[in-house]
Amino acid sequence: MQLLYSLRGAVWILVYLLFILAPLFALLAGSHPPTRDFWTEFSVALGYSGLAMMGLQFGLTARFRYVTEPWGEDVIYHFHRQISLIAVGLVITHPLILVAVKPELLAPSNMLEAPLSAHLALLSIFSVIALVVTALWRAALNLKYETWHLTHIVLAVVAITAGVVHMVGSSFYLVDPWKQSLWIGLTIFWIGLLLYVRIVKPLFMLRRPYRVSEVRQERGDTTTLVMQPDGHPGFHFNPGQFGWLMVWGSPFKITGHPFSFSSSAAAKGGRVEMSIRNLGDFTKEIQRVPVGKRVYLDGPYGAFTIGNPADMHVLIAGGVGVTPMMSMIRTLADRGDKRPVILLYGSKDRESITFCEELEVLKARLDLTVVHVLANPPAGWTGEQGFINAEMFKRHLPPPYSDHEYFICGPGVMMDAIEKALGEIGVPMAKYHSERYSFV
Amino acid sequence: MRRVFADRLAFATGVIVILMSILFALSRVAG
Repeated sequence: MQLLYSLRGAVWILVYLLFILAPLFALLAGSHPPTRDFWTEFSVALGYSGLAMMGLQFGLTARFRYVTEPWGEDVIYHFHRQISLIAVGLVITHPLILVAVKPELLAPSNMLEAPLSAHLALLSIFSVIALVVTALWRAALNLKYETWHLTHIVLAVVAITAGVVHMVGSSFYLVDPWKQSLWIGLTIFWIGLLLYVRIVKPLFMLRRPYRVSEVRQERGDTTTLVMQPDGHPGFHFNPGQFGWLMVWGSPFKITGHPFSFSSSAAAKGGRVEMSIRNLGDFTKEIQRVPVGKRVYLDGPYGAFTIGNPADMHVLIAGGVGVTPMMSMIRTLADRGDKRPVILLYGSKDRESITFCEELEVLKARLDLTVVHVLANPPAGWTGEQGFINAEMFKRHLPPPYSDHEYFICGPGVMMDAIEKALGEIGVPMAKYHSERYSFV
Repeated sequence: MRRVFADRLAFATGVIVILMSILFALSRVAG
């Protein structure tokens, strides 16, 4: 399984590079425009490849399961963010080099008399700068997630369309009709990816709604939504995977939020549960969802699943990061899996331990050990306290540590610390799996 | 750690694109 994922991952990386570089090198075929100096040619190449990278961003966020599986959706989104900085850097460097080579381009008379394609280039560049600023400093700018998401899409479409029209309008390299067609075709493909996510996928979801059959309050300011497929068999998911939930409005609205499934993957009738902690605008409304409400689910996604051969499973959860672990534990119990499972579960205090009672009940159905770690333990607490660290692994896990499969889910700071701690006790990277639920 | 891989992949992609852009410019200048 791991080898297959690695091979698939390598193939997708090559396809990605091909989509960025092939359109650039296609410009060298056919009729050639007059040669200019090295820096001008270099800056043009940066502009073309930067734009191709930006266009492919729509592919990275198109949620193609077959593409994202080898890495996991959270890593793809992280790559999307990092590569966008590089693409924007390339796109901005393009005019900077041109101006450095020909400072007269900045002369007011030149700017006023500049053709439309030059103005479109400026529009494209301002749009990509706005894209980066709003993405990096969304919280500081006090932008609501939904507002930001819509702005993000509009700015990306404007930046790419203006960039391509600038390219075709300049017509220096794109004299041959087939080269123009190639770049216009690419643009249609990129926008097509966006339309797939925003129109085609929602159409499928519209035909496969879910009904909320129960709303359950859990410890730790968490609400569980129990959902049943309405008029269709639902989908099969692997424990640890997640889906995009749309509660208010139609699937065409940009209101989807990613949540892990907390129910057993062996549940009958396509029933799924999501357990959501009150952490923000969207999540605080979840407890007010009425039973019977129609909701939409897009999933399953994610590579954070059990399935590799393992002598035992070590689940490490922080706060609401316990939800995918609950799905794993419930599924292993339903499957009658006899392998040991150790859950190291960090919570703020005893009152905020979501699923505390059910975990005790589940101990009777499988070889489960739960180690609670409280940041603020009550008086008389004899269990672990503080934050999960390498010493706790040594106290609770049997050696050799590198034989077990580790699953980590929780706040980013905690996950960084856990990954470091696992490295300290000699657990190789291939043995641990993590899921970050902060995508943006 | 998987995010470190993504960071490295993004960095490597950037380096490859810049090198290929240099190659493109050199091939144009060389005629």
